[in-house]
Amino acid sequence: MLILVVTVLLGTMGLALIRAVRGPTVYDRILAANAFTTKTIVMVTTFGFMVGEPGLYLDIALMYALIGFIGTVAVLKVSEFGNLGQTRPELPPKPK
Amino acid sequence: MRDNPVLRVVTKIIVPVIFLFALYVQFHGDYGPGGGFQAGVIFAAGLILYGLIFGTESIRCLISTRFLRALIAAGLLLFASVGFLPLLMGWNYLDYDALGQNPLSGQHLGIFLVELGVGITVAAVMVTIFVAFAGRRDS
Repeated sequence: MLILVVTVLLGTMGLALIRAVRGPTVYDRILAANAFTTKTIVMVTTFGFMVGEPGLYLDIALMYALIGFIGTVAVLKVSEFGNLGQTRPELPPKPK
Repeated sequence: MRDNPVLRVVTKIIVPVIFLFALYVQFHGDYGPGGGFQAGVIFAAGLILYGLIFGTESIRCLISTRFLRALIAAGLLLFASVGFLPLLMGWNYLDYDALGQNPLSGQHLGIFLVELGVGITVAAVMVTIFVAFAGRRDS
């Protein structure tokens, strides 16, 4: 039963990957990457229960959940500001 | 990105959890998945998230660049001194058996200190790289 769940999750991860590669806009790609992260967390957890060592794999899934957020934020910041260090977008030069 | 309330609040909630999880990975690494390198990277990821949202200047306010460089050296120094301590006691380099009353406690203490050194160095290096690249324009 759990093998079926993992297989279906892998299939949906493939679909998300296709959207990430073909996405016309950058938001499609970011959303696809985010969905991919979520599916990875669910798949790692399910895989842990399938193997019979949930404690080991839940640690990994927890870490993935914490770290995946950072990647999304970083990509969003680069796509909007073009720089990782700034706190707000560059203001247009003032008319003289 | 400080002006966005969602990102600001989520960051304030999630950063302490990341630090706590990094410490868990560091000190539970003997029994589960983890170790010094992974814990250092997770700890640095928490600081990097903080820097992404609040700007690299706030990381510099939190930890000065000089202190970060000192931490890089301190972690390596801890690793090397744990290695040389058994050498002074007449054992081999990095032979942790010499550090405790019996080999088991010696190994435990030695691995603990070495992983701590690795974690400190890796976290400091990651944050230094991020600050150096992301704060390039406003330095």
